[in-house]
Amino acid sequence: MKRREHNAFQSACVFLTLLTILFIGGNIAVIAFRGIRSLPECLHQRETLFAVYLSVKSACISSILCFVLSIAVSYVLTKTRLFCREAIEILLELTMSLPNIVLGLSMLILFSSPMGKALKGAGFPVVFNSSGIVLAQLVVNLPFAVKLTSTAFREVDQKLERVAGLLGATQGKCFFTILLPLCKNALISAFILVWSRALGEFGATLMLVGVTRMKTETLPASIYLDVSTNDLGGALASAFILLLISAVSLGIANHFAKANRSLSRYEM
Amino acid sequence: MRCNMNGLLEIQELTVKRGSFLLEHINFSLQENEIFSIIGKTGSGKTLLLEAIAGFYQPDQGKVLYGGTAMCEIPAFQRNIGYLYQDYSLFPHMTAFSNIAYGPKMRGVSKAEIQTGVTEIAEQLEIRHILNQYPGTLSGGEQQRVALARALIMRPSLLLLDEPFSALDPVTKRSMYDMIRKIRKDFGCSLVFVTHNFTEAESLADRIGVLIDGHLCGIVKSQDLYSAQWGREVLDFLGITEKDGRDCRDERGTL
Repeated sequence: MKRREHNAFQSACVFLTLLTILFIGGNIAVIAFRGIRSLPECLHQRETLFAVYLSVKSACISSILCFVLSIAVSYVLTKTRLFCREAIEILLELTMSLPNIVLGLSMLILFSSPMGKALKGAGFPVVFNSSGIVLAQLVVNLPFAVKLTSTAFREVDQKLERVAGLLGATQGKCFFTILLPLCKNALISAFILVWSRALGEFGATLMLVGVTRMKTETLPASIYLDVSTNDLGGALASAFILLLISAVSLGIANHFAKANRSLSRYEM
Repeated sequence: MRCNMNGLLEIQELTVKRGSFLLEHINFSLQENEIFSIIGKTGSGKTLLLEAIAGFYQPDQGKVLYGGTAMCEIPAFQRNIGYLYQDYSLFPHMTAFSNIAYGPKMRGVSKAEIQTGVTEIAEQLEIRHILNQYPGTLSGGEQQRVALARALIMRPSLLLLDEPFSALDPVTKRSMYDMIRKIRKDFGCSLVFVTHNFTEAESLADRIGVLIDGHLCGIVKSQDLYSAQWGREVLDFLGITEKDGRDCRDERGTL
């Protein structure tokens, strides 16, 4: 009787798994099969090439900025005694659970204030400007990057850092000689994931910089514009490019994450 | 702030709370070149005490004085103490050579001096043949020797060892006992080691402290471990029946 119950439960789980794969796989298959057909034609269009260039460029800049900041924040959160650590963690998690469009709205208000105008006067326009794309991607990805880097830092055995300290390493030296090499692969993997997310960011970007052809047109924005103008082929081609980049970056990220697991204690 | 003290290390009324565990009112001092062992059951607070001595935790009460200064006030990189964890905590991304050379490198010693120093200590600890290997490829005994070499190359005044022999086979254990005696003789440092094995505490230490549930029940010379007037808890731990004082240890000398 128990065995039959066990089998029924397992069969139900397998059925639901197949249903999930079918649902997700179906979406990917639509983009892959229909997008690839429109791709050759779209690759010759200036708009598509501009969107790819702007997306990759802004994703690279925002991911580097995001990582520098997230490493500093994660170090403070995981390695120092901070009385308000929990409050900072809650704040970061809160922004992570907010819709991107809300974050974009708050940034729009912030950078439309006298401070934003002063920034514009100083030669750094944010609102409705391509530099705003970097900031939108940054604000959306920062909590996510902090989460990933904090996890990577926490996975390094604290005893190693204590021993390094007793052997004469200052905190800075300990960071560069022990912590960073030991979570190098996890950080690379996290960077790629953050970059991939930045590439696909749309909500916050839409609110802060709008969608203007050949000005603030990232790949997701290009999809939005193409659908708005009834150019389904163009939208699917841009979606296919995004799918391709995401698949490659996910593969690389998984490779580094796997390498990091094998680097963990005494498995070199 | 410097205080008057007796010996190399003095622990005064040390109280440390970690979660629900409390290490309370610990008092003892350590002389130069002395081997001191702390014995106690698993979960009695031995490692916590050792880590508190090393200054990894700020005491809730009391002091750990090292050379007259509170341990926590000395920056970790200036403490001049060695710490050997139960799992040796070798840096997995470095070879045995780089592990041993890590301390001198951090202190800015020249490459030539590091090379000489590492070779010398590797010969003393008989690990020269494994210097190019990564920790993951070494046996437990070899890892322990590398960890010892890494600590000893800094010429520490105090070496703290957390259950140093628990993961070793009997033959390696015996050779490591000799190694510890040799370290005391050659390097002139004081050693504190924690263990739950009475035999190794008796045979290696000058004095033994018994720690039960976060309380240091007493300190005796190692030869007096079984003849001292202990309370019921320690007698139970040592396996001595209160009635006839008979030694009830098993053949291995462990509980």
